[in-house]
Amino acid sequence: MTILLPTSSAGDTEGTEVRVIEAARMSRVPGWLVILWRNGKCRIGLLMLLVFVLVAVTAPLIAPYSPREDAFAGALGPSADHWLGTTARGEDVFSQLVHGARTSLVVGLVAGTLSTAIALAVGLTAGYLRGIVDEVLSFFTNLVLVVPVLPLMVTLAAYVPVKGLGLIVVVISITGWAHGARIKRSQIITLRTRDYITAAKFAGDSTARIIVREIMPNMTSLIVVGFMGACLGAIGGEAGLAFLGLGDPQTVSWGTMLNQANTGGAMLTGQWAWLVAPGVAFASLMTALTLVNFGVDALSNPHLREN
Amino acid sequence: MALLEVRDLSVTYSPRDAAAVRAVEGVSLTIDDGEFVGLLGESGCGKSTLGSAVLRLLEKPAAVTGGSVVFDGVDITAAGEDEIRPLRWAKISTVFQSSMNSLNPVITVEAQFADTFAAHPGCLPPDVDARQRAVDLLEMVELDAGVLRRYPHELSGGMKQRVALALALALSPRFVLLDEPTTGLDVVVQRAILDRLRALQSEFGFAVLFISHDLGTVMEMADRVMVMYAGEIVEDQPAEAMMSRQLHPYTQGLLGSYADPRDAELGVDYVPGRPPNLADPPAGCRFASRCQVAVDDCSTVHPELLPATSGAARCLLVERAGGTPVDAELSGRFVAARPATLDEKPVLAVRDVAKHYRVRRRGGHTVKQAVEGVSFELRPGRVTALVGQSGSGKTTLARLITGIEQPTAGTVSFTPSDGSALDVGRLRGRRLRAYHRHAQLVFQDPFGALNPTRTLAYALTRPLRNHLGLSPGAARQRAGELLETVGLSPAAQYLDKLPHQLSGGQRQRVVVARALAPEPTLLVADEPISMLDVSIRAEIIQLLDGLVRDLGIAMLYITHDLLSARLLADEVLVLKEGRVVEEGPTLQVIRHAEHAYTKLLLDSIPNPRTGSTRRNSRAGGTAGLPAAPVIRG
Repeated sequence: MTILLPTSSAGDTEGTEVRVIEAARMSRVPGWLVILWRNGKCRIGLLMLLVFVLVAVTAPLIAPYSPREDAFAGALGPSADHWLGTTARGEDVFSQLVHGARTSLVVGLVAGTLSTAIALAVGLTAGYLRGIVDEVLSFFTNLVLVVPVLPLMVTLAAYVPVKGLGLIVVVISITGWAHGARIKRSQIITLRTRDYITAAKFAGDSTARIIVREIMPNMTSLIVVGFMGACLGAIGGEAGLAFLGLGDPQTVSWGTMLNQANTGGAMLTGQWAWLVAPGVAFASLMTALTLVNFGVDALSNPHLREN
Repeated sequence: MALLEVRDLSVTYSPRDAAAVRAVEGVSLTIDDGEFVGLLGESGCGKSTLGSAVLRLLEKPAAVTGGSVVFDGVDITAAGEDEIRPLRWAKISTVFQSSMNSLNPVITVEAQFADTFAAHPGCLPPDVDARQRAVDLLEMVELDAGVLRRYPHELSGGMKQRVALALALALSPRFVLLDEPTTGLDVVVQRAILDRLRALQSEFGFAVLFISHDLGTVMEMADRVMVMYAGEIVEDQPAEAMMSRQLHPYTQGLLGSYADPRDAELGVDYVPGRPPNLADPPAGCRFASRCQVAVDDCSTVHPELLPATSGAARCLLVERAGGTPVDAELSGRFVAARPATLDEKPVLAVRDVAKHYRVRRRGGHTVKQAVEGVSFELRPGRVTALVGQSGSGKTTLARLITGIEQPTAGTVSFTPSDGSALDVGRLRGRRLRAYHRHAQLVFQDPFGALNPTRTLAYALTRPLRNHLGLSPGAARQRAGELLETVGLSPAAQYLDKLPHQLSGGQRQRVVVARALAPEPTLLVADEPISMLDVSIRAEIIQLLDGLVRDLGIAMLYITHDLLSARLLADEVLVLKEGRVVEEGPTLQVIRHAEHAYTKLLLDSIPNPRTGSTRRNSRAGGTAGLPAAPVIRG
């Protein structure tokens, strides 16, 4: 008879978790994946994402040449040997495109994970402990929120002496966690006064254990949602920085490709593929993640799931 | 033709993740103009779903899958939205349990009335001023005109519910559906609203369908009562006839769980077991598995709702006996019997305790005195009940005793049998955690007290591992034993379940088991039965009673319900605005109440017998007067 109980409101993540666990018990795959898969748009997004992941993982097998091999004639148009032509420096554009998928996904994954982790730590601590700790942490959260992110990223990336992908990941992570922290803080504030939290205190559980074992499981969907958003932002951020020429020129990424195509005068020499290919790849990856987000909506709001 | 005719209505919930559930199955009912009909049933029996279907407010995944609802000649199940819109509120209106939350928080009460009038331009005579009409309506529910300027958050729960009632009556509807209109409100507030409602109904003659799980209110208010069980109507009788002669065994069980706390000898019956799963309903009578007098045919033949004496019943035995009631021979019976006073040393002593809260207001602070000068003692194997309205400081006292909060003045001292006294008010951190091994809490809301993502085994092993230091294996074994203690057996079947797979009563048993896990000497139960169905309440009371006596636990039982206090407690403290106004042995306080406040609490209890005297007096020509509370010594 449990299904006759009033369904939870949009802000109630506990109801979501119960359904997620139910779905998982029936099908052996993670419950949130089951719910994502059920949404038509989200399924397309997941399949597109899967293609990108496969391409990234098997990049050396798919790419006909090494991405930095510049032994070919420069500025060739698309041909049978070079499907998307070559760059001004004589590198194979298709090989670069395939390897670029790796960079985008790695940055998305690592920076997404990092900023989610920071957001979790800050949000949960502030929301659970309240008081002076909350005041201090909320101040820093708000500070990061009000600072314009792009100029900050540009400044950081331009003035830090070390270059490389690691720097880009760090820059994106420390500028991108604040929004997630706020959402998690407000969620834990509603969860911390629940009777079962008081019950856990009466059962003698420590604060850390209560946060990790009692509260976190009730907001996994929210964490997944936050992670997806952070990935999206990180991939976009990396492409943007690289396009502005602030990335590591040695790294092969769609952003650096666009940057080099731009500076290499691809439009003037008629090498449309050099310019269009990374743009289309980037747009498709963003589309895939956006489509996945339709399903994520259903995950965070049970009311959207019955249709 | 009747005002509302429901024919063979079925409603099915078909969620994606679970089997389809027929929540309402072939329900037929009629309500005449001006009739006050009660619909009584336990949670999950489909009564609110039926109400939503009548108003056509069902939302996915629920849908009407058969039958029709005809209101005043309009088929509500088939009509288009444009046909229904003028009907809603003008002819059919409603007050929900959460109606107080249905007021728009960002506009004033006056604006809410204005919206209602504006939505139905033809309903207000042109010569009537909308504001004046709103003032009149508020007067009807005993609120003054000043309320019009207020926002919903500035009103108390009872006031908001009165505003909701006034809004429902704004366009003089012919039919009002009341879905648990007073559940969740304080007894005294509930009494005032019910009295007002009954008077208004007599005055204006609108028809009412009053849906509630609370037997006392339904029997007191309604002229005719329908009892719903597992999606079906099982009995339909005038309230008076139902009071004296219940036809269906289930109704007998329900009425058995009600008693007047002032009776000299007191006992309550209950129906053991749970309703069937409606995703897979049994072939025969749906009540058969819980029925003590069921015969073989009951599990194979599905009975029809047939006329019997003064009403109708859905029972094979009633049918065969030619429409006369059957004797249900209820098996569960809990009799309030208090053992003689034992001279045990108190484990907890509360001395002159006060708790003040500083409330921040615009331009400074005000001090709210939640508790003031309260003293009492708790002894092993004895139950002390703390009785009072909401806001009287009961829960604050519970928090002081369990050390969650510190008293502003006075002391709370705990003396374990093998140790020296402990000043509970000064415990912090690790020592407070250690104190919780001795003092445990049973929560009010069984749905909120268990973590929805954690299994029962996890919930029960935590206190065992933390407080008693058991190994994981031993803790799991002990958790199983605890489940058996609270009557959930075989335990292996329950250990790996999640809370939502249990019913409310089962969850409350788990909450009790968890509180018992560290073998406490002191148990604070904060309204442990107020959110449960009537038929389960007696079971939980019996469980608590047995545990207190067998394990020699000292218990503080917090409640606003004097019947349960009478059943369980040895002593009663009546709390009003943070002060104890009356205390003494339970029987004496309840039967010979001295203080006016105690009497008010007693008189606020909905009483079916008051209902019958009122109905009689109404028949005697005093129609239109509100029911006066009958005070008996």
